[in-house]
Amino acid sequence: MLITKRHLSRRTVLKGLGVTAALPFLDAMVPASTAWAKTAAASKVRLAALEMVHGSAGSTAYGIKTNLWSPAATGRDFDLSPGSLAPLEGVKQHITIVSNTDLRQAEAFTTPEIGGDHFRASAVFLTQAHPKQTMGSDVRAGVSLDQLYAQRVGQDTPIPSMQLCIEPVDQAGGCEYNYSCVYTDSISWADAETPLPMIRDPRTVFDQLFGVGATKEERAQRRREDKSILDGLTDSVTRLKARIGAADRARLDDYLEDVREIERRIQKVEAFNSSGQERELPGAPVGVPDSYDEHVRLMFDLQALAFGSDITRVFAFKMSRDVSGRVFPSTGVTTGFHNASHHNAREDRIRDFAKINQYHVSLLPHFIEKLASMKEGDGTVLDNTLIIYGSPMGDPNVHNHRRCPLLFAGHAGGALKGGLHIKAADGTPMANTFVDVLHKLGQDDASFGDSSGRLDLNAVQDTTAAAD
Amino acid sequence: MKHVVFLASAGVALLGIGLSARNPLSQTAMPAPLAQAARTAFTQAPAPRAAARPAQPSSPTMVAAEQTRLVTTYCATCHSERGKAGGLSLANFDAMHAQEQRTVVEKMIRKLRAGMMPPPGAKRPEPEAIAGLTAALETRMDEFAASNPNPGWRPFQRLTRAEYTAAVRDLLDLDVDVTPYLPADTQAHGFDNIAEAQSFSPTLLDGYLRAASQVSRLAIGDRHASPTNATYRVLQTESQMGYVEGAPFGSRGGLVVTHNFPADGDYVFKAMLQHTISGELFGNTSIATAGSDELLEISLDGERATVLEVPATMSDATEQGFVIEAPAVHITAGPHKIAAAFVPRFVGPVDDLMAPIDHTLVDLRIGTGFGVTALPHLQDVVIEGPMTTTGVSDTPSRRRVFQCRPTAPGEEMPCATETIRRLALQAYRGPVGQADMADLMKFYEQGRKDGDFESGIRMAVQGILANPRFLFRVESAPANATGPYRIADIELASRLSFFIWGTVPDAELVKAATSGTLQNTATLEKQVARMLADPRAEALAMRFGAQWLRLQDVDKVRPDGVLYPQWDQSLTESMKRETELFLASLVREDRSVLDLLNADYTYVDERLGRHYGIPNVQGTAFRRVALPEGRRGVLTQGSVLMMTSVADRTSPVQRGKWIMQVMLGSPPPPPPPNVPTLDATAAAQDGKVLSVRERMEQHRSNPACMSCHRVIDPLGLALEHFDVTGQYRIKDNGVPVDANGEMYDGTALNGADGLRRALLGKKDAMLNSFTESLMTYALGRRVESFDMPTVRAINRDAAKHDYKISSLVMGIAKSQAFRMSMPGPTPATTEAAGARQ
Repeated sequence: MLITKRHLSRRTVLKGLGVTAALPFLDAMVPASTAWAKTAAASKVRLAALEMVHGSAGSTAYGIKTNLWSPAATGRDFDLSPGSLAPLEGVKQHITIVSNTDLRQAEAFTTPEIGGDHFRASAVFLTQAHPKQTMGSDVRAGVSLDQLYAQRVGQDTPIPSMQLCIEPVDQAGGCEYNYSCVYTDSISWADAETPLPMIRDPRTVFDQLFGVGATKEERAQRRREDKSILDGLTDSVTRLKARIGAADRARLDDYLEDVREIERRIQKVEAFNSSGQERELPGAPVGVPDSYDEHVRLMFDLQALAFGSDITRVFAFKMSRDVSGRVFPSTGVTTGFHNASHHNAREDRIRDFAKINQYHVSLLPHFIEKLASMKEGDGTVLDNTLIIYGSPMGDPNVHNHRRCPLLFAGHAGGALKGGLHIKAADGTPMANTFVDVLHKLGQDDASFGDSSGRLDLNAVQDTTAAAD
Repeated sequence: MKHVVFLASAGVALLGIGLSARNPLSQTAMPAPLAQAARTAFTQAPAPRAAARPAQPSSPTMVAAEQTRLVTTYCATCHSERGKAGGLSLANFDAMHAQEQRTVVEKMIRKLRAGMMPPPGAKRPEPEAIAGLTAALETRMDEFAASNPNPGWRPFQRLTRAEYTAAVRDLLDLDVDVTPYLPADTQAHGFDNIAEAQSFSPTLLDGYLRAASQVSRLAIGDRHASPTNATYRVLQTESQMGYVEGAPFGSRGGLVVTHNFPADGDYVFKAMLQHTISGELFGNTSIATAGSDELLEISLDGERATVLEVPATMSDATEQGFVIEAPAVHITAGPHKIAAAFVPRFVGPVDDLMAPIDHTLVDLRIGTGFGVTALPHLQDVVIEGPMTTTGVSDTPSRRRVFQCRPTAPGEEMPCATETIRRLALQAYRGPVGQADMADLMKFYEQGRKDGDFESGIRMAVQGILANPRFLFRVESAPANATGPYRIADIELASRLSFFIWGTVPDAELVKAATSGTLQNTATLEKQVARMLADPRAEALAMRFGAQWLRLQDVDKVRPDGVLYPQWDQSLTESMKRETELFLASLVREDRSVLDLLNADYTYVDERLGRHYGIPNVQGTAFRRVALPEGRRGVLTQGSVLMMTSVADRTSPVQRGKWIMQVMLGSPPPPPPPNVPTLDATAAAQDGKVLSVRERMEQHRSNPACMSCHRVIDPLGLALEHFDVTGQYRIKDNGVPVDANGEMYDGTALNGADGLRRALLGKKDAMLNSFTESLMTYALGRRVESFDMPTVRAINRDAAKHDYKISSLVMGIAKSQAFRMSMPGPTPATTEAAGARQ
């Protein structure tokens, strides 16, 4: 099922020319200096990095005491029922909870930064770097975890990585507290100065992943058209080649390899469809659905499908946007998300906010179970996936970034055991877990962001020692 | 003389390649030992001969030995084997053998012409000696090139996004935005059409296929179109307090778009409004105060389609949120102008606590308080549909495509064949052979089988748009060619068309090419003149000129909202338009290239006029105005000044670099690693706030930085009277602006006008930069050292015509590099390490 990209295996080089390794569009997210040989041998573990904003009720003093997010016990035997993670009970064996990590880079470093947490935190989540306070075009944070990984393995798949979001964004203009909106709008950074736009419309995601068309028939029709056009291209190119110079012939050969690659891709999609899995997503979405759950589920379905067909191995998914005032009717809480997060340390309001956190978490099993239902080799796609779910804020009432919600799902090709709760020592940077994530993904980075070490995500702690 | 025979037989005149009699060939014939002796002798001579001679600056009569001596004396101290300043050693430079190191010599010429070498502070020979040396080196290079013709080579080009869009417009009378399909073009050597940088990837091919499929459906119409939604956004940096061009008169804000509707049917519009972070409608205070809801009108081709109420009570906490949905509207297929704009109901003088704030959404909190008059702003409009389709009406594209209509089954094939051949002829820009037609007819039959006549034509159009004959500009090569050869007439027609018009050739050009006379110089001149007079020649301004000036970089700068509340996105748009219109006027009126510096006029709309302090300009239409004292040419246009600034301050370094790169064709070397930015320099010292100039002087006190920055910075500092947004100022950070300085060669630079005069003194460097860039764009390849003689020849010729744009375009069109090609390098295939199946 692996779709390789031709320019890894064979490359025509024009002698004596300073041919720039210029890669268009999605490919361009990968710097030209990537060591091709190294990435070709890399693993096929998928990474989905999901971000939820506004922290959690479980990060408050009351919430910690009453286990509104992290369970009381560490190790393998822990109880999820008291808090927002209760919906994960059925997929517990696939989950690794890490509590008590901090995101100090999201804190204010200078006086003017005080209060601007909402407009800077999202840029920190996957970069673990402190964003430069500016409303202008001189933005700066760091390379994000998903992009670091995509830059190393993304070229093995048709699409190196994709960035999705739920809330509408505005890529230009200022937000509040003298922070550019890009800090609020994107969690993926190709490098320290390049935030990547996130796609909100499931239809656009679908078209980019699977081809254009609203129905199975329409897509089949378009594939048929593309196939005949590709067939015709080979003849046209042969005729062209008869009357041109050798160097241009070589250039057309490169192009013909692309033709074969797209033909192969169409065949893969067809093979995938005949495997029966496509029925789970019968039609292409029209666009952005009105309801939040429907939108999120659709985005999860698309990620699962893309992972299953190995069209891409890296997703970053921004599930909300800071200061969103969305009301989630099914929670029974009528206060908007942002206002609810400012609970004024009142226990009843913290419990209300926990319901919103729980509602967000309740959307995860859909994704996890879907990946677990997709067979791959001896196991499932979930076995070869690592999901990060977390928030760059802790207690939203005071805008702190301590004891942030963080959990992992999937098994990263066997590297991540799951069914575990780890409580980090006080003051542990969240980045320490990301260093281990990189290791579980087959990378050997010694550090990431502001990491001070590496926190092993398989470490089974002594319950009594960790519980104090 | 062998090459001359060859060229004559190829029917090509040796254009402008200086074989003129004024170049005394005898000097180069000096035997080496003699030259050595002369060099030794001249090194000890106190006064160079050229210096003693009265004004004959460009006289190329300096003997080789003297050239060598000058270089050894004045250059080789830094450019030594050990020092290698700028990575260049001139220790063993010998003018006699200059032709053996043309790249080095052209580099020398470039620096000498710009007056940048020897650097400030170093010992300099008399100006006449420098001029003499430069001229002599040029002559030697030109002579060598004349006897060793090399038209250069580049791999074939593919259509850029802009060329694809233009070609679709010409072919199908359809305006499409191809950015969702085609990857962004890679810029190389300043342009987006450089063949070497145009790589291939499956992503690209996939984009071509999707574009062909969508464009063909939009052109023919798609009665089976499924509903999708298209979102059009108003940037948050855009003010919506004024009238938006194209919206109904008297309306406020909103947006205007031309949307291509795939079929006749019902479409739904949804509008989303800007809101504050606390979940309230932006501008609700003002409407609540006025006591009447704001109204949003959606119009279709100028006719009101629906009016929606925008109540002050809109809130995040309601089901509806900030979205208002219009009832479905029946719309016919094809392009329609959709406007969503507010109907002003709150009109009258206001007395705000803070004014003016053009960047209205810079802080959303002002939208709900008192003190600033804030009115609702549109965030985006979604067009969803078609919900039901009723058919496909007549559209401009359909009129273009269907020029015959079968009325009986027997007429289908002849009509299809004729239609497809006509479209393919234009799209392929050359003959359409039997095999080509057979391919396309196969597509027609496939489409016909799945549907009707129109489906067949649509499928063939899709085939045409995906064909390499349309997408690639492949040029044929004579079999077994070993040296330069003339390109085919039909390919010359394409080169001309993409060069001057940025699109496919028209019928007349194709006719000239097929009659086999285009390579004939008289015909070529006639065609170029005709093409320059055509409105499509605007592409020289919009495509070439804009890229040469790096106009696209303006979008990368967003001025700080607190420091520059008078900025908003519409000002940026106006600035870009100003520069485009100005460049277009140079082409249309066939003005001198020097007008880029000298022009005393520009184009402004009301917004930009206000910004520049030009009175009596009203409305959104641009008009030509006389510039006030202190503003001339492009150097003082807002676009150039803003793109060379950063968000919160001007950047004399970027401005200086831009001038060196664009105007003088000689960019400074990149900074060494680990240099702290200016922002790391304290903004105040001993309690005193510093101006940008003062901060820079502190910053570059490091001698390692000084050597380059003493060249770069004064150029940029001369423009310090213009702030980030290009507005005139007399103070920076409260400190009076000091725009005085000295150019690297000692010329006084007093403000923008001094800078302009100093650059005019380096006009050869500027003309070479312009022509070199024009040639880069025309050829789609980097201009090499062996091309520089051609560049100089074109400029010498253009001098006779006051450097009119037409003379430079004509010079390039008639050059060997443009009309000829040569065999490319031999390709080698390598297997990359780690190859996999």
